[in-house]
Amino acid sequence: MTGALGRVVATERKPNTPHEFHFWTAIDSPVGIGTIVRVDGAQPMDGQIPHIYGIVVEGFSYTDLQSPMHDVLGHDGLPTMAGYAATERAEIRLYTAAVLRQIPEEPLQPVPMGQVFLAEEADVQIALRMDSYLREGANTGIPIGVYRAGGTEAVIYLDADFLLGPEAAHLNITGVSGLATKTSAVEWLLASLFRHFPEEKGSIAAVCFNVKGPDLCYLDQPGKVEKSDEALYEKLGVEAKPFQKVEYFAPYTAKGLALNTFRNNEALLDNVTPLTWGLREVLQFAEVLLNRDDIDAKADALIDFITDSVVDKEFTDPLLSKKHRVQSFADLDAWFRDVLQGMERKDGESWRTHHVATIRKVRNRLSNISTRCAGLVTDSGAVSDLPFGSFEDRTVYVVDVANLEEDAQDLIFARIVSKLREHLERRDLGVKHLVVFVDELNKYAPGDGADTYVRKMLLDIAERGRYLGLVLFSAQQFRSQVHRRVVGNSGTSLFGRMDPDELSTPGYAVLSPATRTKLATLEKGQLMIRHPHFTQPIFVRFPRPAVMQGREGSERYPQSSDVSLEAAILRALRPLDPTITLPWVQEITALYTPEEVIRARNATLLARPDNVKAYFTAQFRKIIPAQAATRPMAGSIKSAPENDPYGF
Amino acid sequence: MLVSNSSPDAASRAAIRLLMEWLPGASAVEGSTDLDLSSRAEQPQLRSAQIVEGSTLRAVNVPDVTRTMASGFGAFLDGAQKVRVIGRDLNVPLVLGTTSAAVRIRVNRRLVTWEHQPPRLEQKLYLPLRYLRPLTETLRPSSQTKYGQFQIVDTSTPDSSGEYPIEHPTVLLERAIRAVDRQRDALEDELAEAWCAIGGAPLFIDGGISRSERVASSAKAIGVIKSHRTLYVEGDALRTVVGLAKGERSSVFLVSPRSRSEVMSWYLRLRDPAGHDVLWGLVRVEMSRCENPTERANEISRWVLAETSPLALPDGRWDKMSYGIRDCEEFLRAIS
Repeated sequence: MTGALGRVVATERKPNTPHEFHFWTAIDSPVGIGTIVRVDGAQPMDGQIPHIYGIVVEGFSYTDLQSPMHDVLGHDGLPTMAGYAATERAEIRLYTAAVLRQIPEEPLQPVPMGQVFLAEEADVQIALRMDSYLREGANTGIPIGVYRAGGTEAVIYLDADFLLGPEAAHLNITGVSGLATKTSAVEWLLASLFRHFPEEKGSIAAVCFNVKGPDLCYLDQPGKVEKSDEALYEKLGVEAKPFQKVEYFAPYTAKGLALNTFRNNEALLDNVTPLTWGLREVLQFAEVLLNRDDIDAKADALIDFITDSVVDKEFTDPLLSKKHRVQSFADLDAWFRDVLQGMERKDGESWRTHHVATIRKVRNRLSNISTRCAGLVTDSGAVSDLPFGSFEDRTVYVVDVANLEEDAQDLIFARIVSKLREHLERRDLGVKHLVVFVDELNKYAPGDGADTYVRKMLLDIAERGRYLGLVLFSAQQFRSQVHRRVVGNSGTSLFGRMDPDELSTPGYAVLSPATRTKLATLEKGQLMIRHPHFTQPIFVRFPRPAVMQGREGSERYPQSSDVSLEAAILRALRPLDPTITLPWVQEITALYTPEEVIRARNATLLARPDNVKAYFTAQFRKIIPAQAATRPMAGSIKSAPENDPYGF
Repeated sequence: MLVSNSSPDAASRAAIRLLMEWLPGASAVEGSTDLDLSSRAEQPQLRSAQIVEGSTLRAVNVPDVTRTMASGFGAFLDGAQKVRVIGRDLNVPLVLGTTSAAVRIRVNRRLVTWEHQPPRLEQKLYLPLRYLRPLTETLRPSSQTKYGQFQIVDTSTPDSSGEYPIEHPTVLLERAIRAVDRQRDALEDELAEAWCAIGGAPLFIDGGISRSERVASSAKAIGVIKSHRTLYVEGDALRTVVGLAKGERSSVFLVSPRSRSEVMSWYLRLRDPAGHDVLWGLVRVEMSRCENPTERANEISRWVLAETSPLALPDGRWDKMSYGIRDCEEFLRAIS
């Protein structure tokens, strides 16, 4: 045990309380904002020496100088002369610490006078109440980082029961953009979770929505790990390796040729799956794409009617000119056209209680969807989706929506989260616990603005997800602008370097000025943590994720630019069959329209057949090659009688 | 010397409780506080002194005084005392005296307490036992003995002419105050002698060095006197001293106080007195006798001048006080 580094002091003007105390140290002591200390009381209580654990939240330094003017006078107004003074003025380092824990915990008394020691690793565990979940039998600690002060290095653990439920759940991270702290922290935490989440608590997977940039696009690729980080990894008990199981999902570009993701380099396509949905998938979430004015009760009723009675069914009606089977947006448009023409013929204003204006409006809005979400929504109805029902343990599923329009992003988010929720409710997702990571919460769950479908979903996860095993890891730049119920329901909060303007908002008033200053100047790789077991925020350092960073990845694996149709087909199919060549593709597709070629590719990618060439070829209709045209012999024209007025 | 004034403390309360057990007629003084001893000073006087640097006292410009000159002092010594009338037994004042002294050494330009000789701190009861019959019977025959947790100093012993103090309360209080003074002097001398026997660089002592022969004869002890109730100059010499400009010193002269050791001394002006009283920024420096008083006085004067930075503010005596002595006083205030 090291010697005392300070002494508790209290005055009438600055007394100690049960939750705060003051102490002074030598000038060169290794104490700073965020340092955890232990006070050993001098007087035993019930035969036990009280130990008080605290974290430094404020620091003061001053000399016996009464006025700055005295220093000016003392050195004749020349700052350079101060260095020649025979003696330095008496100086104090006075710190204020917030109490983390008192032992014994009852009776809760003001902090007594006593010596102050730097907390050692065992002290840190007690101070942060980690001893309750690191003990034999509990074992629910998830390393989040290393606390460092003086010579102390202590691993800080989060309690899995309070991170993933059932006690509390969810995690929110705030920090300025550009330092990669938020993404790095989440990547590191997922790695730690996958390594340390207790087997007996069941399987776990993560679905990450990549909403901007390429940061999450190379989770399976190794990144640079510095020596210092290697030591951190070892201390934290996590291997410095990229994620072993990662699956990527991304829709196509509007042209439908290439995947709309930063990770569309041919070398990385083996675990990238297209994300395409048809009419049925979209109609269930039409509300997401229609604004509040669109979805009045009448429109809603018509959409429900179409979903329940029209889509994927043989639909007949006396009004219609023919029988319809609606399976795609193209079919739906034909159905709408027939309905409206029938109403025009009858000169009727309504059909099956739906007013013609409502029908026109819904047709207009729904037909528009395939255009607004081109690449994701297919006219053909082909569906390529996440493996709902067969999610695998310790696997990351990344859905790349970074390059999509806002509507498409909302649709993807709403549908995937709904499906996840449905499966978790039925306990058939494939894993017991699922982490959903969403960045840019300022955009998706703002504190003000319209009550969107996505925000409602995020609120639902935040408030009820933990009962299902659905846990939200969310991130944003400005926590103060996120819906209060989303961040309020996050049991654990992480803070990277913060914007000073954000820190001046009322939500941070509970932090001391010194803590706020530290937050505004945090280095990359440092976090402040709030966790239900910790009565005060704690500063930790975490290792840089052992995965390739977005910038490096996009340089090493450049995003493929738009290519020809044949080249796009080649790139899509070659991961399934390396023997496929460009001439072969050109030969097979030469006679068909781009739509037919793309449809064949999508079907092949969905089926992943053993014989890729045969399957792909079989998707095309038979076209008999045109015979060379021969000019028919022209017969003689019978001349008409000149006087035949009728032309016979 | 520090004279502090503070509210009643635990020691005072413990002392009066103890005394009231043995002195049935004793009563506590309500709200007793430390006496303000600053006004208690000897009569101002002028004394002639033997000049040892030349034949007449003159002003000497201390050579090589620069902004960057270094000080040769390695430590500072000061003492403190508190006198509190905690009770009375009829007309007899019951006095609790607290005396302390410390040496603060300079390490890397910061002052810390000398480890070799820890600071001295004593709390004693100063009582005229002759007029406190029950206690006299208890404590006889020793004039200074232990009473509970407190040492007792008898302040009613006969003086050098064999006279006992009269029973006048003011006389008895004066006797107690002088006894406390002596006790503080003893503590200071004890530390100064220890320094002279062991210490390294010269010691800056707040006050004179002539009380102790061992200190007065040591080249390691330099006394700096801020108060000038006695001026060792008369006539033209007095006018020379009060006319000293900043950075000037007087000629060195010999000081031979009664019953004390003879030491060399000179006046030194630390700060420009323009706009202030004539004694502003004036100190008298004492050192042991030496063969080369001029060089030595110049060297020590430079050291004392170097100690004027940083300022000893907010102490009211900052014009004469060095920061090291202020640090000693603050230290003693903290521990006593």
